Amino acid sequence: MSFVEIKKLVKSFGPEVAVAGIDLSVEQGEFVTLLGPSGCGKTTTLRCIAGLEHPDSGDIQIEGDYVTSVANEVFLTPEERNLGMVFQSYAVWPHMTVFDNVAYGLRIRRETRAAIKEKTTNALNLVGLGHLAERYATKLSGGQRQRVALARAIVYNPKVVLFDEPLSNLDAKLREQMRIELTRLQHDVGITSIYVTHDQTEALVMSDRVVVMDKGVIQQIGDPETIYAEPTNAFVANFIGVANLLEGKLLGHDGELTDIEIPIGDGSPSIRLRATGAEGAPVGAKIILSIRPEDILLHLEKPAEAMNLFEGEVIDTVYLGNFLDCQVQVGPHEVGVQIDHFEELETGQKVYLSFTPDHGLCLTE
Amino acid sequence: MATDTAAPQIDVAPPRGWRTWFTQENIITTIVGLIVAVAVIVPLVALVINSFLVLDDLGFDTEWGLQNYRDIFQGRVIKKALINTAIISTGCTILATLLGVSLAWINARTNCPFREQLEPFNLIPFFLSPFVGAIAWHNLASPKVGLLNNMAKSAFGIDFPLFNVNNLWGVIWVTGIFFAPLVYLFVVGSLRRMDPSLEDSARTTGAGLLRTTFTITLPLVTPAILSGAIIVFVTTAGEFGVPFKLSAPFGWETLTTQIFTKAVGDDANHYLGAAMSMVVGVVTAFFIWIQHRIIAPRSYTTVTGKGFRPNLIDLGGWKWLAFAYNVFYVCVAVVLPIICLFFVSLHKIWSGRIIWSELTFWNYQKVLFFWWPESIDAATNGIINSFILAFGGASIAMVVAIIVSYMIHRTKGYGARVLDFLSVIPIGFPGIVLAMGVLVTYIKTPIYATLWILLLGYITRFFPYGQRNISSIMMAVSEELDQSSRMAGATWLTTLRRITIPLLKPGIFAGWILLFVIFLRELSISIILYSAGTETLSVGVYYLSNFENEPMTSALSIAQTVALLICVVIFRKVAGKEALTA
Repeated sequence: MSFVEIKKLVKSFGPEVAVAGIDLSVEQGEFVTLLGPSGCGKTTTLRCIAGLEHPDSGDIQIEGDYVTSVANEVFLTPEERNLGMVFQSYAVWPHMTVFDNVAYGLRIRRETRAAIKEKTTNALNLVGLGHLAERYATKLSGGQRQRVALARAIVYNPKVVLFDEPLSNLDAKLREQMRIELTRLQHDVGITSIYVTHDQTEALVMSDRVVVMDKGVIQQIGDPETIYAEPTNAFVANFIGVANLLEGKLLGHDGELTDIEIPIGDGSPSIRLRATGAEGAPVGAKIILSIRPEDILLHLEKPAEAMNLFEGEVIDTVYLGNFLDCQVQVGPHEVGVQIDHFEELETGQKVYLSFTPDHGLCLTE
Repeated sequence: MATDTAAPQIDVAPPRGWRTWFTQENIITTIVGLIVAVAVIVPLVALVINSFLVLDDLGFDTEWGLQNYRDIFQGRVIKKALINTAIISTGCTILATLLGVSLAWINARTNCPFREQLEPFNLIPFFLSPFVGAIAWHNLASPKVGLLNNMAKSAFGIDFPLFNVNNLWGVIWVTGIFFAPLVYLFVVGSLRRMDPSLEDSARTTGAGLLRTTFTITLPLVTPAILSGAIIVFVTTAGEFGVPFKLSAPFGWETLTTQIFTKAVGDDANHYLGAAMSMVVGVVTAFFIWIQHRIIAPRSYTTVTGKGFRPNLIDLGGWKWLAFAYNVFYVCVAVVLPIICLFFVSLHKIWSGRIIWSELTFWNYQKVLFFWWPESIDAATNGIINSFILAFGGASIAMVVAIIVSYMIHRTKGYGARVLDFLSVIPIGFPGIVLAMGVLVTYIKTPIYATLWILLLGYITRFFPYGQRNISSIMMAVSEELDQSSRMAGATWLTTLRRITIPLLKPGIFAGWILLFVIFLRELSISIILYSAGTETLSVGVYYLSNFENEPMTSALSIAQTVALLICVVIFRKVAGKEALTA
């Protein structure tokens, strides 16, 4: 059995279903991220684990013990669960010093004065705040408060640390830095972590496993590479990076490759393409082709030899510093292409697009 | 899990079933919630029931009927009282709103000289007793013993009384100047924190200063003005002391003075009193409902959280007129009344003029020296009782306020909404109405004629004031601060003690002092619920005033005023400038 086991978790707020039956297991020492747009139920799930919400049904076990079991009418209060949590607002108590903030959990646990001093100092050194112990929280910067909240959550060695979008209030530069530090810290301490975010970069960079959620349901669970390269449905493909999603029909299978056709309407012949995925689907099935903008090649002249070639018209280009974001009209579809070689592109210009079959992924509904 | 069965196996023995409900949080909040519900609802239900009981001619038996209400709307005396109440409330609302808005604007948005020094004085009437204000103005401007009238006579030989406050105009005047700070407090905050770019954009489109003020600034604070005006209207409708002192003895009764005569005295009829209270209560509750439901939610969000430096308007030479206007207000509302009371209190007999050779502190001995056999019991009891009630009442009310605020803002669900509603109700009912309900509820219980019934009345009527103080801070303090403590392993009570309450400390103390002040000067609840031995400070003043002993009345009034002024100073020290602004 896993370290944290969530079974059939359901939670509604009035008529609104926030979490619609979630099963999830987290191994000891693992860093798992719940990723999804706002309102997908990720924070509610986290708060159910914390004991801050009473779920409508389902069970949660930590280290084999039930902390929540609606059927058995078990509900441990948050303080009985021995977890740590880092909140979005950091929630550093303004009426206490940094030291008192971090030492709070240890004092609640009635540790000896010497142990409190030692553990608190260690935790503060770990997050690089040893020199600010006597300062009041109101005198700290956002990044420093974040570190206090982190030290406070890990100092009493909880079973699991829960993170509720902890980096979303920081500016971009600091966020990147904290991301690296958090990952390092998690690896050093080896504490089991469940992390909630809507930022896909955060999820992909930090996690051992990513849980993509939408509308209260888990869409996909997997390690970051799998989630990015092999999304199982259109939502995941679109949410993790911006993918082009084109609707089409499955024509047949050829070994590992799949033949498909994308209609572009108005009497024009459909585009026939080869891609991967949709292995089990029958011929004629409706599929969605997902291609990432950075995987599409853009040609100004029709290349002599290229797979999956089709043509379109440039409708917009946006200069984004290290690359160019180009929108190409292909029949009724707008296809986004990312290019790093800066050709002179004009609106209305005819261009050719291609991609290799392994970059096109067919998704079934 | 090894065995993937439908019903999970429990391997430890955790608390099961209904026992999981019994957490510290649930037990304590439920108990407090129930107490509040009973304290608020029972008197009002009793009031409704009693208002439909009609006393027979012999005064022994009652039967169900509508006769009480017929008496109110058909009986000559009561109908006239109803009309007088309407006139006074309307007049006072107009006067207080004009004063409050103009003073707030002068202080917040003009370069009126010394405005920072004047501001605290503008707020002093908010803390003082309007009843004492009425006594002071009676001695200043009643036809016979009015100091101003007599001074005009000796200085200019004016033979007829220049001023006469012993009528409805007098009541409107005194309530108007005393309730102006209510409007002021509502308006000054919105004026100060208004985003100046709203006005700047009007100026850039070509609107002049005055035009901007009247088309942008004032319309933006209209919801605040209306809120303040409604609170004043309701407060005046429930005001007892001022009409009782100034107009009732001269034939201008109001509903509150009529309720009072039906609650105590030879002609007591609790059932008719209850019906009259119902009439007042329905009207005031209706207005408060309008304020809460319709006006308050329409307040424009002109506050964006940033600290703004509001645009100040250069009044040029007119600034001295504004200054004079503000000084005039402080004089009539604070300085003149206190000086007058002080001089009256130094005479053995007050004849309307200061006799310098006969000044004495004898009255103060009579009303303050409780150890002295010749002291007046009603006064000395009043001082001791009022301090006990103010201290105990403010402390208990703040505990209730903290728990109720916690329930409203930190727990979700049905109980929170019910409590939110319950803590608005007492605000909708004037003290004298609620006291009437408390009286008919508890008259046959042992707490009648003790300090406990007063304490109960005070807390029920006024805990929402403390609750609002706490709630405004609790809304600003993130819930996550509490939750972090629970996550760190602290129980609900420990979290309350070590995180929640320390964070609310400024609000708790400000609320406590505010309630202390209110209880120290409370009249309209006390006057219904007191009995011999449980007089309060204001009841003592009433008692002395009943004997038409103005010097002694003034001495006790000055004592009360001094105590209240000390509280004001402490309040400003603790709570800071902005604490009162809504």
